[in-house]
Amino acid sequence: MLEKALSRLLAGKRPAASHLLLAPAALWLLLFLLIPALGLVALSFAKNGPYGEILWRLSLDNYRRAFDPRYVPVLLRTLFFAGGTTVVCLLLGYPLAYFLSFRAGRRRGALIIALMVPFWTSALVAFYSWIVILGKEGLLNRALLRYRLISSPLALLYTPFSVLLGLVYFYLPFTVLPLYASLEKVPRSLVEAAYDLGATRWTAFLKVTLPLSLPGVVAGALLTFVPCLGDFLTAELLGGPRYYLLGNLISNQFLMAQDWPFGAALTVLLLAGLVAGLWGYRRWEAAA
Amino acid sequence: MATRVTRRDFLKAAVLAPLAPALLSACRRAGSADEVNFYNWSDYIGKSTLPDFTKATGIAVNYDLFADEEEMFAKIRAGARGYDLIVVGDYLIPRFQILNLIEPVPPGALRNMGNLAARFRHPAYDPDETTVPYLWGTTGIAYNRKTLKRKPTSWRDLWDPRYKNRISMLDNVRDCLSVAMQLLGIPETTHAPADFAKVRALLLQQKPLVKMYSSSSYLNSLVAGEIDLAMTWSGDLFQAARDNPDLDYVLPKEGTYMWVDCLALVRGARHRANALRLIDYLLEPKVAAQNADFVRYATPNAAAAPFTDPVLRRDPRVYPPPRQMDALMMHHVLDPEQTETWNQIWADVKVS
Amino acid sequence: MKKSRGLGAYCAALYAFLYAPLIVMTVYSFNDAHRNVVWRGFTFKWYLTMARDADLMRALTTSLELAACAAAIAAALGLLASYALVRHRPFRGREGYAALLDAPLMIPEVALGVGLLSFLVRAGFELDFGALACAHALICLPYAVAAVRARLASSGGSQLEEAAMDLGASEWRAFLKVTLPLAMPAIVSGALLAFTVSFEDFVASFFLAGVGITTLPIKVYSMLKFGVTPEINALSVALLSSTFVLLGLNAWLSARAGADAA
Repeated sequence: MLEKALSRLLAGKRPAASHLLLAPAALWLLLFLLIPALGLVALSFAKNGPYGEILWRLSLDNYRRAFDPRYVPVLLRTLFFAGGTTVVCLLLGYPLAYFLSFRAGRRRGALIIALMVPFWTSALVAFYSWIVILGKEGLLNRALLRYRLISSPLALLYTPFSVLLGLVYFYLPFTVLPLYASLEKVPRSLVEAAYDLGATRWTAFLKVTLPLSLPGVVAGALLTFVPCLGDFLTAELLGGPRYYLLGNLISNQFLMAQDWPFGAALTVLLLAGLVAGLWGYRRWEAAA
Repeated sequence: MATRVTRRDFLKAAVLAPLAPALLSACRRAGSADEVNFYNWSDYIGKSTLPDFTKATGIAVNYDLFADEEEMFAKIRAGARGYDLIVVGDYLIPRFQILNLIEPVPPGALRNMGNLAARFRHPAYDPDETTVPYLWGTTGIAYNRKTLKRKPTSWRDLWDPRYKNRISMLDNVRDCLSVAMQLLGIPETTHAPADFAKVRALLLQQKPLVKMYSSSSYLNSLVAGEIDLAMTWSGDLFQAARDNPDLDYVLPKEGTYMWVDCLALVRGARHRANALRLIDYLLEPKVAAQNADFVRYATPNAAAAPFTDPVLRRDPRVYPPPRQMDALMMHHVLDPEQTETWNQIWADVKVS
Repeated sequence: MKKSRGLGAYCAALYAFLYAPLIVMTVYSFNDAHRNVVWRGFTFKWYLTMARDADLMRALTTSLELAACAAAIAAALGLLASYALVRHRPFRGREGYAALLDAPLMIPEVALGVGLLSFLVRAGFELDFGALACAHALICLPYAVAAVRARLASSGGSQLEEAAMDLGASEWRAFLKVTLPLAMPAIVSGALLAFTVSFEDFVASFFLAGVGITTLPIKVYSMLKFGVTPEINALSVALLSSTFVLLGLNAWLSARAGADAA
């Protein structure tokens, strides 16, 4: 009896079964994401009082402020860092994912876990370790000086380099895992067939493996790019005052300036931008 | 064999998973009625102060931590409830009051209120004494004796191009704007747009020299020698100096600001009476002295003076001599219009 | 073969990059200073301090419990959702669900924290462990879904499943005997990812943690001002080594199980 019901649910012959399976997740998203997000949308039309009290007067002021030209550099800088991080993570991560999927053999499971484990230590401790490594009198500078590779300490911390390094460090696993998952799906028989037809490793890779793993590239890029847009801790701890990113702007509205309506408006705009981007991408993908 | 066990375990887990939080929170809700929930900075209280309080009164203290008082304000403001007692900086108190987030300490409820020094009674930021002063300190300049040839003496030194990329400023509207106004000779009470334009220009002029705007992590950079000059709060620097003895603190010659961290009752506190007892306990001379010695801030408690560490007591950086003490200013309480302008200027500086 | 060795060396270098800060962290856990940015001398004391620090241990258990709950919920919800999205014939609204499942990634966590806190308070929820675990599960959900979906989409699985059903197994049996074991590695890695995300989370936790709930990141971040002591390094080292011991044990057990089977 139960088995039959469960079977019918899994078979999904009718849409109702699909909706039922998705219901728990949808309920979760509704309760903990959609309703709070709607609250933020409402908030974005309110006005901020001088002491941070919220005045419910419908206005578009917050949106008008958000389009002030002074925020353009912040947006461009954020896109640069998020885009740069995504590209670097993909370039660095793809060979690793390939190795994990095709070459790692029995060590694969352990290697994947080893990829996640560094992130079980507090991000703050990792940041401090990077400060110890990259600092003016840090380990890297001292090593370079000792071997006479440089004559005076390099300024590594609080530069675009350290911000990018921090972002790459924290988002690399989020790029690698989807890449790995999609590489796992590449049928080995197809790759073998390519070899049998006389393809070299490179051609087989370029013509078979790479195109088949593209969904993973997209997923990995998404899982990196999108959270990067809202990241503020990296810029705060490894960046300097000149690397103020969108995430810092938004979090500052909520935490320091106590201007929640403006913060909410910025969030809504960010979300709108992302949704539009994703929608455009899906359209483009469907058309291609 | 192995897979079957995993699978069954997995199914069990899948069924139980959504229930787990409910079960666990049921287990955790074992708090006693005789408790008080205290929300404070980490390490901002003497090591044995709270256990001693519990021993003396039988009231258990839940000590929860925040990393930044602005964040704490944002959280309480969003509706987080359950905390009875919080530690708040003086400049935040009017905001808490206007948003109706704190309850006044009833007059006469504290036996030890009289222990406070006269200058901490009925302060400008809270004339009705709805909150109780906890610890106080000054805003000044921290510097590294070894790497800086010349001892800084003035706020002006934070604008010196020779120190480019070696300077850190507090990530705080009040402190940065007040200092800029002081340098320009503009009173904090100003409403004149021309004055604000000058303040903004001065801070923007400084920005290329500044390595970071930070209110906490700069202390590590100071210890590590990444920066040599910083606008700082007194006690924070003394704690940092334990790890780098080359660090020193000066009160700039223009004069500077003092600030007071206060104990406040959260509106709707469930353990109001216990919170009041804790405040009263913290006001006891010996307790206040121990507390202040541990965190290296100054105590506003006059009766505690004989019990404080004589080394700290004689240190002019912690307890400035009377003449300097009288020159210390309190931040002016801003009106709504000023608050908005100040915030706007600070946001411009950060974003530019 | 030569190329493979080059690739292996490259991956080793990448792992070295990921572990470099951890090595520094381990070294500095023996640092006789109050802040872990300068080296003062060798000491073991932080390990003792850590073990005796009841607050720190409580924060650790809270974080572990929280991450386990969040990962379990996210994995369970993610499995059901992914199954419907991947295996069921296309239905109206599928794209909508898929987009919605990615949504928690897009919203900056500060905004989510403030929005959720305002909502939970207004809706009369108690800000207890359960509420925090539910919020964490939401943040982790996209990661779990991403991992499981990719695996379920692999063509091999559904063919085997069909074969099982051709042999007379019901969908449920086929799911239990074929799909689930095949998807297990993905579920585990999805859950692991979720666990990691939850264990690390500070911003949302800060807003949603009620009275008496201090997670490890909250504890660590609150130490920012007066110095994150090497005690935290010591704790991280202990955590890291116990993970590796468990991993080694697991590898050894499965190797033995393999030997028994053969």
